[in-house]
Amino acid sequence: MILRLLVDPPAPAAWNMAVDEAMLTLGNAPTLRLYSWAPYAVSLGYFQRAADFADLPAGTTIVRRLTGGGAIHHGDELTFSLALDATLLPPSVAESYVLLHDAVVGTLAELGIPSERVAAGHGQSPRPTDRWCFASAGRDDLITPRGKLLGSAQRRIQQPRPRVLHHGSLVLQRPSLTPFVAAIADARHTDALLPELRTRLATNLARALELELVPGELTTAERALAAHLQVARYENPAFVQLR
Amino acid sequence: MRPTDRQYLKSHEWCKIENGIATIGISDHAVSHLSDLVFLDLPAKGASVTIGESFGEIESVKAVSSLYSPVTGEVVDTNKELPDNLEWLGQDAFAKSWMIKVKVSSKSPDLIDSKAYDAHCQAEG
Repeated sequence: MILRLLVDPPAPAAWNMAVDEAMLTLGNAPTLRLYSWAPYAVSLGYFQRAADFADLPAGTTIVRRLTGGGAIHHGDELTFSLALDATLLPPSVAESYVLLHDAVVGTLAELGIPSERVAAGHGQSPRPTDRWCFASAGRDDLITPRGKLLGSAQRRIQQPRPRVLHHGSLVLQRPSLTPFVAAIADARHTDALLPELRTRLATNLARALELELVPGELTTAERALAAHLQVARYENPAFVQLR
Repeated sequence: MRPTDRQYLKSHEWCKIENGIATIGISDHAVSHLSDLVFLDLPAKGASVTIGESFGEIESVKAVSSLYSPVTGEVVDTNKELPDNLEWLGQDAFAKSWMIKVKVSSKSPDLIDSKAYDAHCQAEG
């Protein structure tokens, strides 16, 4: 079975989230999408309260994700999304993080960037106390000696069949609003690194999923649904202010 | 051994109908696969739910999962204590961890008994 690879140019936050939801909902081939954000933006976890971010600088683009977890300031980073049938991942949520995070740890190791997955048993209160995803690392999170390097979250649906959307944000340079995060720039100069990082990440995620990586494009139906969702949901203040 | 006095969806919701009122929750299997539950969003009393459509959402380990209704009808009660006591789901998913009660107009043809649901869980892993 193939893993469709999409490598997208920098795009607005609402479009990025809309494309990911379209990939999840329409249920085509398992898909890995690599992308970034222009302009930079803050994404809120699905259950977070918009009022908790009223202090962000004026003009900050804010979008609500479909996935859980804490907020992320998406600056210079490599974002990836995986949309696939749940049967292609281990059955439990925690095990799925282990599989995918180990693929990222392996990718970084190939590039000489030390990182590790936090071992089971490392404490984190079930209900996060900080609004930012990168403020604390919990079980199975990916860290370096400087802190948390990868933000991850998922959305799971059962209808029309069990599907998973997995989000990963791999920090290249520390974002201005969350300067406490770790970054690949701590270990490597990032300018020339990005193409190789994309290639190795895609290869290692495909290997972990036992899928064959094949470059592809969004389908016409996915584009149409994404265009609708961009306006109807992700640019809609009612959704951003949902909580 | 899961309760035999109710039915189940393969998406892991349980449904017990008495006197036209369905009590709905999620199974121990769902809870064990989600782990570390942090948020739960349920519909308000008076809301409508529809067979096969989402009636709520639950977050665990940064994963948000939709909850699917096994019946169509009107929500007549919600478990208001549950969102702040999600550990109940791990203690007993089938009693005090109920989520909503619905006045039933119709029920899903996809509901299965506990024996079939046990087999489904075993196959799913």
